[in-house]
Formats: sequence, C-alpha cells, structure tokens
Amino acid sequence: MSTTTKPTSISAKKDTRLIDGLNLVLADSYQLMALTHLAHWNVEGEDFFPLHKAFQEQYEELFEAVDEIAERVRALDGYAIGGLGTFARVAQMEEFKAPLPQKDYVAALVVAHEKVVDDAVRTRDQAGETSDLQTQDLLIKRLQFHEKTLWMLKSYLKH
Amino acid sequence: MSPVANSQSCPPSVGDDCAPARCRWRCALEIIDELLAARDAISGEEMDRLLDLRSQLRRAEDAEAVLKTFCELRIRMERKHYLAFFRIRRWLENHIVAAVRICPAAEPVFVPVELSHYCVEAIRRVCLCAALRNGVLLAPRLRFAFQGAAVPARPAGALVSH
Repeated sequence: MSTTTKPTSISAKKDTRLIDGLNLVLADSYQLMALTHLAHWNVEGEDFFPLHKAFQEQYEELFEAVDEIAERVRALDGYAIGGLGTFARVAQMEEFKAPLPQKDYVAALVVAHEKVVDDAVRTRDQAGETSDLQTQDLLIKRLQFHEKTLWMLKSYLKH
Repeated sequence: MSPVANSQSCPPSVGDDCAPARCRWRCALEIIDELLAARDAISGEEMDRLLDLRSQLRRAEDAEAVLKTFCELRIRMERKHYLAFFRIRRWLENHIVAAVRICPAAEPVFVPVELSHYCVEAIRRVCLCAALRNGVLLAPRLRFAFQGAAVPARPAGALVSH
C-alpha cells in the first residue's frame, strides 16, 4: 500500500483567486449564520415553533460549515479571514433589523442564501479550473445545503 | 426593514442603466418581467397594472406614482407572490427617498422610505415622523423621489398637515 497521498494540486495552492473565493464564501456563510440566528431569536407569530426550530437547524449547520471552509483555506496555504467587522465588509450582505413580519425573515434569508450560492458557484468553477477536486467537492456540498434550504424557505412563502 | 445606507446599496438601475448582474437586490424590472412571464399565475388586470408599474419604473420620473401602483399591486398580489413583492419592495426602499422640507423655502432633508405599510399616505406619515426627529415641521412638504434625482426648489409635492 502506498504511504503517500496525492497532494492538492500545486497550482491550486498558489491560486490566490481560489483562496479569495473561499474567504468570500466563508464571510458569506458567517454573515448568513448571524442573520439566521437573529431570525431564530426574534421570529414571532403563529408559525413561531416551526420557524424557530428550522432557523436553529440552519445556523447550526452553518456553524460547522464555516470551520470546514476556513480549514480548507489553510490547507491551500492561505489564511482564513475573521472578525465580525471583516466578515460584514467582505460579505456585503444586507442586514435586517427586528422586528419583522414572519415572512420577511424568510424572504430576507432567501436573498442571503442566494448571495452565498452565487459566490460559491463562482468559487466552485475556479476550483474546477485548477483541478482542485477537494475544494470543488467542499463547495458542491455547500451548494447542496444552500439549494435545499432555498427550496424549503421558498416553499414556506407559498402559503 | 431599514435600508442600510452604505456601499451595500446598489446603484440606481432603472432605465438604460439597468444591470441586474451588478445589482445585489435584483432589479425591480427583472422581477416584474418574471411575474409577467408567469401568465397562469396572474390575472389580466394584474398584468395591466404590472405593465403600468414597469413603465413608471423605466421612466423613473414619478416616484409617488410608482409607490401608489406598487401599493395597489401589493395588496392584490402579495399573498400569492410574497418573495417577488419582497424583492421589489426592498429594491424600491434602496432607490426611493422622501425629500422633506420643514417649510416650502427650506432645504430638503432626505429620509429613507420604509415600505412597511400598504398605502402611500401611511408611508408618507412614517417618513414625516422620521423627519420630525430632526426638528419641528412648520408647514412640511414631502416629495418622494428616485435617489440622485433633482428635487425642485419649490416642490409640487403634497402639503402635509402634521
């Protein structure tokens, strides 16, 4: 059995565009996690229980995801960005204030998830260009989560 | 929801400048086109009023008329098309401001427009209350305007008793 593992492609390790892209997805995800948490805390009304629970599941998933994304940046010899101010500046995601109608929390989160999807698709394609299958795989997994969540949130709005 | 007045706001993208790819909050015209394309989900009358709104947005001349048409459509259609109307609402909040003068001769104070109500008069009242925080309104005049559009020195906007 071979004791060596195939390393991440050298071109991917040197590709600052890919690292910047991952850091953007990291900032997006962190910002989205904070917004989902805000919605979890402040949602009220007749659908309080299902929405409160759904938002909790979503921010918990995002909390695990940001760690994976940041560690992928490090695996590519880059440095992960951090700090709430930096995340907000990089992500450029519009914040919302409580209180809001129930459906506005959901609609605002739809828009935020769509922003993450746009940035993750671009970064996934960059990873493909440099044959970095590991990063591509990570981003495909992220996209699956965001697309599934978008489907759920949009379905709720079809009341 | 209050618009965050910083670089997150996309530039005006009505008329020929419309560039949805650069607009974080998708262009209202693009959303209206998607609604118009869903022919089975809208009535003929709704289609006519959507076309009116589209035309008013393309001209970008009369923000008050835009808000009136939007409110009318929102009451009729929001239940079935919540996300579309949320997107249009947020776009309008990022592109329309209320220019409030404490008296006809005064310089206007620009107040963000919050579309948390379903009628223009209620929206106007919220804007006046926001402007009131900056001082006493003697004979206030309020005019809705597209961001960046010139506000006439002596506006024809509604005189509002407060």
